Amino acid sequence: MKFWLGRTGSILLAFALCAGIQLLADQQSDFVQRLIVLAGLYVTLAVSLNLINGITGQFSMGHAAFYQIGAYTAGFIAMKFYAGAKLPPELWMILSLLTGAAVASLAGLVVGLPSLRLKGDYLAIVTLGFGEIIRIIVQNQPAIGGAYGLSVAPRFEMIWLVWLLAILCIAVCRNLLKTAHGLQFLAVREDEVASSAMGVNVTRTKVTAFLLGSAFAGAAGALLAHFEGFVSPKMFTMDVSFIIVTMVVLGGTGSITGATLAAIGLFFLPEKMRDLPNFPLGNLVATGIGIIIMVVGFRHIAASFHGKIVERVMRYLAILTLAVVVALVLGPIVSKVPTLGVPVEGAKLRMVVFAVTLIVLMLLRPQGIFAHHEFSWDWLRKVLRLDGAKKVPA
Amino acid sequence: MSVCLKLSEATIKFGGLVAVNKVSFELKQGDLFGLIGPNGAGKTTCFNIITGVYKPTSGEIEFNGKQIGGTPSNKIASLGIARTFQNIRLFKSLSVLENVVVGGFLRHKTGLFGAMAYLPAQIRETEKLRAEAMELLEIVDLADMASARSADLSYGMQRRLEIARALATQPKLLLLDEPAAGMNPQEKEELNVMVRRIRDQFQLTVLLIEHDMRFVMSLCERILVLDAGTEIASGPPDAIRNDPKVIAAYLGQPA
Repeated sequence: MKFWLGRTGSILLAFALCAGIQLLADQQSDFVQRLIVLAGLYVTLAVSLNLINGITGQFSMGHAAFYQIGAYTAGFIAMKFYAGAKLPPELWMILSLLTGAAVASLAGLVVGLPSLRLKGDYLAIVTLGFGEIIRIIVQNQPAIGGAYGLSVAPRFEMIWLVWLLAILCIAVCRNLLKTAHGLQFLAVREDEVASSAMGVNVTRTKVTAFLLGSAFAGAAGALLAHFEGFVSPKMFTMDVSFIIVTMVVLGGTGSITGATLAAIGLFFLPEKMRDLPNFPLGNLVATGIGIIIMVVGFRHIAASFHGKIVERVMRYLAILTLAVVVALVLGPIVSKVPTLGVPVEGAKLRMVVFAVTLIVLMLLRPQGIFAHHEFSWDWLRKVLRLDGAKKVPA
Repeated sequence: MSVCLKLSEATIKFGGLVAVNKVSFELKQGDLFGLIGPNGAGKTTCFNIITGVYKPTSGEIEFNGKQIGGTPSNKIASLGIARTFQNIRLFKSLSVLENVVVGGFLRHKTGLFGAMAYLPAQIRETEKLRAEAMELLEIVDLADMASARSADLSYGMQRRLEIARALATQPKLLLLDEPAAGMNPQEKEELNVMVRRIRDQFQLTVLLIEHDMRFVMSLCERILVLDAGTEIASGPPDAIRNDPKVIAAYLGQPA
């Protein structure tokens, strides 16, 4: 009884949260609305890829293909059947979502099968190839618009549904990890031979991970198609797959929390950079020096200081302040040098900032922001209580 | 006593190399059986063909009256054969407890969809498996390390954890691949007592590979010696100790 009360409560909370996002988004401009939708879709994509890459350990680089298959499936069935079906938009969207998911998971099965024989780099190459093959096949099919793309009518702007899908995806992954059944995915990642000796069907586990992960990506694709009202092969290039992989790695391979936060962060960071003002080249040089000071200082602290967490944070803050001060003070000074005074267009730097952020984060925390951890109140308490001294097994 | 495991002329070839050559032996229910031999004699390969990692090239393997040669590993585990690994294969980033819970995989009744929805039945089952895993950890004396990451354990502890994980599959036959490797004399003594205890408590048949002669001789009731894939001797420890062929295999032929 208590369980069902709690469960109903959390489901209602999820709906309330999505309704809240929808209400908030309604007051924003079209541009901001689009960002909110895409962020939600990227959360779904990153978390679902995390199930394949992070949790089951099958390095897949073709996630955009499943996204594309979902989008085109939704677009295609809308073109053929929407006018005749006369369904309410919500019901149609849910049907479209399910169809997109089903077709994408079928593709997931096709990719999952070779994964039984391939590992690591080899699997990455095969999935990468698969992603490109799907894109090129679609590009050459006049029936679904070819290279021009396919317009999807009608457009639905169901921001709540986008986020509901993201929450569902997070919930499913988290539930899997909480039950003994879900441990099989982690076991396969850790050691296939040993899991098999424990009775785990390694083949089935891998295929299941691919099926589930690609189904969520397909559902996200269906939502994208109806939100944009248009799909084209250009929307699903290799870059999209790379960015999703980056989100998973940056968040901490295997961590659902990490994938979610990295998806939101990595999505908004380059968008925010569009507003960057112009400034002299000297500031850029100074910022670079500041970043170097920060990286070197942080690495030094991480390697040599093992005291209390509060003291450690203080040290990090001190280095950060030093780096910022150096960048701010040095900026105007070096800008006096004639060649360093030329202005730089800030908006054009957004991809550079993106890349530098990745490099810095990977230098400072190669295991990803959250490593294997998940956010939970217990975990937070443990981190804050930790005295920093390395635990020595008795 | 009924026959538990029977190998008849089991052979496996890798290209031109005959790793295991017509090896035959029989384990009775409740046996403590040792498999020894110099490095490269084919002991671990023997384990690998019993547990389905490799398919034997020829010969038969029978477990409780059933042919199991070439059956996939996970099926063999479900028939009741569990093993540990020479080069420890724990699920390193999982906790000690989780490692043992994975061993209980075969007893899950939970389906995938139930697990995704996290329903009360699944929560109860997970709780039950965790409780059972905890009991096994107490048997191998690792209960206080339950929440540690398994990679952080000492070598001896990792070996004991592998045994607990194997026991979690509720096997009838337990294969231990060099369980005492890397242990100090006191740990070996404790392991000796522990193996006997779990054999009696779970009514197991135990087949083990070991290099430490004193350990094998004091633990096993029967021993089979392999050299270059072929059986060179078998019998009780005392007979093996004095067998000239065994001495020659380990120390070389007298000039």
